[in-house]
Amino acid sequence: MTTALLITAVASQLCLVTGQLLMKHAMNQTNLTPVPWARFAPRFALGVAALSAWFFLWGGLLQRADLSYLFPFEGLSPVLIVFGAALFLKERLTPQSWFGIVLIGAGVAVVSAS
Amino acid sequence: MPTNSERVSAGSLACLGGAALCVTVAELLFKRGATATAHLPAAQTLFGISVLASGWTWLGIISYVASFVGWLQALRRMPLYLAFGLMSVVQVLVPLTSWWLLGESLSLRRCGGILIVLAGLVVIARPAMQSEEKL
Repeated sequence: MTTALLITAVASQLCLVTGQLLMKHAMNQTNLTPVPWARFAPRFALGVAALSAWFFLWGGLLQRADLSYLFPFEGLSPVLIVFGAALFLKERLTPQSWFGIVLIGAGVAVVSAS
Repeated sequence: MPTNSERVSAGSLACLGGAALCVTVAELLFKRGATATAHLPAAQTLFGISVLASGWTWLGIISYVASFVGWLQALRRMPLYLAFGLMSVVQVLVPLTSWWLLGESLSLRRCGGILIVLAGLVVIARPAMQSEEKL
């Protein structure tokens, strides 16, 4: 894995996490009555933009490496997403859930190292 | 005090499960499309744009859009940490299907990692399932 591939992989991860946080924030608006579309639209649009950036960065990486070696990079995202969700969306997790997320991350790290 | 009392409906779990399957299919199609276009000039591959030259990529996009719709429906009713954590089942499905369908290698160590991911999934899923049974 070269430095350029690594940087691209990390950048694609950041786009993915940012996009998902925006998307969750947007979808939260749809549970309100009446739905505040003016609040929903910009979050949704920015979320789609961030996820599109992730998609093309990811597509570029797939051209240069095996899927089963690249894919574990996405394993960083559950951990990053949970930090983001706790920090920006005020989602609360029990210690048990944190443990589960860490297990998932660790499992993915083992998969990537193999 | 942190709580895991979020109620998770069978409907939103079904949306999430469908999304996980669709994204797995999409990843396999993207890999096929990317492999088919890997020979194109480097300038076109800077942001992976050239993957669009393959029909497999477009099938992958359709499958990805389907998974996205299911994902958004699940996201409406589930906390992000739980929805995204459960989507890690894709981390299990992709190496297994890459091995099965694309002939990529699957070592004993990788199988061990897959088992750890599965254990993590059970740990985060159990409180949500239990809270539904109580309600």
